[in-house]
Amino acid sequence: MQRTTHRPRLLTRPGVVALAAAVVLTAGACAKSEDDASKDTKPSAAAGAEQKAVAPKPGSKSCTIDAYGAEKLDLTKATVGFSQSEKEANPFRIAETQSIKDEAKKRGVKLLTANAQSQFSKQISDVQDLLAKGADLLVIAPLNSDGWDPVLQAAAAKKVPIVTIDRKINATACKDYVSFIASDFVEQGKRAADQMIEATGGKGEVAILLGAAGNNVTTERTKGFKERIAEKAPDLKVVFEQTGDFAREKGQQVTEQLIQSKPGIKGIYAENDEMGLGAVAALKGAGKKAGDVKIVTVDGTRNAVQGIVDGWISGVIESNPRFGPLAFQTLDTFTKGEAVPQDVIIQDSAYAADNAKAEIGKAY
Amino acid sequence: MAEATLRTAPLDKTRVLQWLQTYGVYAGVAVLLVVNIVITPHFLSAENFRTQAVQVAPVIIVALGMALVIGTEGVDLSVGAVMALAASVTALYLGYGLLPALLVVALFAAAVGLANGALVALVGVQPIVATLALMVGGRGIALVLLPQLEDLRNPALASLGSGDILGIPYLILIATVLALLVAFVVRRTTFGRQLLAIGDSRPAAQLAGLPVRRVLIIVYTVCALLASVAGVLATARLQASDPTSLGNLMELSAITAVVVGGTPLTGGRVNIAGTVAGAVLIQLLTATLIKHDLPPSWTQIAQAIVIVAAVYAARGRGKR
Repeated sequence: MQRTTHRPRLLTRPGVVALAAAVVLTAGACAKSEDDASKDTKPSAAAGAEQKAVAPKPGSKSCTIDAYGAEKLDLTKATVGFSQSEKEANPFRIAETQSIKDEAKKRGVKLLTANAQSQFSKQISDVQDLLAKGADLLVIAPLNSDGWDPVLQAAAAKKVPIVTIDRKINATACKDYVSFIASDFVEQGKRAADQMIEATGGKGEVAILLGAAGNNVTTERTKGFKERIAEKAPDLKVVFEQTGDFAREKGQQVTEQLIQSKPGIKGIYAENDEMGLGAVAALKGAGKKAGDVKIVTVDGTRNAVQGIVDGWISGVIESNPRFGPLAFQTLDTFTKGEAVPQDVIIQDSAYAADNAKAEIGKAY
Repeated sequence: MAEATLRTAPLDKTRVLQWLQTYGVYAGVAVLLVVNIVITPHFLSAENFRTQAVQVAPVIIVALGMALVIGTEGVDLSVGAVMALAASVTALYLGYGLLPALLVVALFAAAVGLANGALVALVGVQPIVATLALMVGGRGIALVLLPQLEDLRNPALASLGSGDILGIPYLILIATVLALLVAFVVRRTTFGRQLLAIGDSRPAAQLAGLPVRRVLIIVYTVCALLASVAGVLATARLQASDPTSLGNLMELSAITAVVVGGTPLTGGRVNIAGTVAGAVLIQLLTATLIKHDLPPSWTQIAQAIVIVAAVYAARGRGKR
């Protein structure tokens, strides 16, 4: 009896599922967001925004193709595999992937891409797939620093040179990989501290909105900031350190608590732009005026630089995501047989009230 | 004599546990309020209470739906994903104006709720598995629709997030009205009775001729709709649609509020006032630790202690 009453319902179910799928698929078609007309696809390589490397210190190690044990090849005829760590859902990752793609196109290099969607096991198999598909060179944005042995062995067996970007792999440079290209996060923290000292006059109480816990970006940006404050402005006191998980909403909530319990706070250092923008939202909600609390952030996204123009943010330290030109230049030099530095440190620029308006086009 | 004292001692213990389960959460809120008034500077101000209430409002709204689902001996893990979906759909359709956008949001949320309800009621999948599918898939759809954070500048949406009537923010008013409404439905309507009967024993409810499937589907749909309301309000407050991180771990906050509020996970009972108090308790606890700048890991430990205490009290009652 039960069974027979069940049957007809069973048959309608695929219909329901198909209907739901159709709704989702067509939803995008008739969507109309606020600023459809003005929406522009941001050029990934805005003029003057490409990365420049800091001149390597004398005596720093370099790597040549002979020392690495690979063979010379012509980059324009090679296939490059790119493994991205996180899904392209934030401006940094979007700009990073786009920059790699643009540079490959510019140089006429065949590019294979993969995205690990923040799953480390997927990234390992992604890279193995890239090798199997015939990548001659690899550019990897690692999700983790450890656990790369299987990939490194597979790449070594095929004599495929690897360049890692934005995060480091714990392995031997010039043996397991060629070079590591990234920003210096401690230096970013120090420069943020400089901006904070300038904005606050070096006196008063400041707060830090920390990034996600257990992340080297968080610890290094905190370390640099505190070191520089202790060294240059001992009268500036860090009285509040809470995590905003690199997210805007969390930054807003934490800042709301902060300005209630410490109304005399003079500055907020946000370890990424999103939390800084959350802090701006919180200050607006509390009826503060632009400039009442000085905000310094790190990243250099367009929204944050616009925040400087609007007067809410005092300074933004850039963390340049456009790795394409530098990564391909490194590979080009290396495959020609010339020496490349093992650690390529990017020169990050900064935005403040004096240059924000003029250079907002450089922001990503 | 000796016998009499022996008999009263365990009786007292169960009485204490019972009292704790019913009133423990209110006692907790009261204790936190008193402690904060004493030790936290600037705590006793209207502005502060406004902040806490505004921050907790979305959690309360999600927890209301969660309480209904848990009342049917289910659980809905997809609420955070529904919030994200609401955020991205709001951003996509805001061009037509706020009201049409909200209608489309409701449509999407209802679709997710129907899918959850159908999986649980018709296909017979366990709630935790059925809603787990939508938890993963819902956020996926949200990200497909809107791959990255988008700033919203709609004035109507902004006033929904930060406006007020007689000094009481819309967020708090909406949460209060919804809480009263859900409490009324649970206590005073046939639907509420049917919901609890199903939570007590689904086979018995089926045999008694209750419309089990219909009630379950409605409950999951209502839960998704409430989650979407919370998603829209959180988006309005932020004035940006952030499907990547909005509603992350919200399912756990909501379940915590419900359980701490004295609603057993075994179903058959729903305590709405307790659920609201549970959400407030967690909010005050977090606020206390943040205001005193204690490491975030402490917040998690403190939450864990509260949950264990609540579950212990619930266990005492269940054994009786």
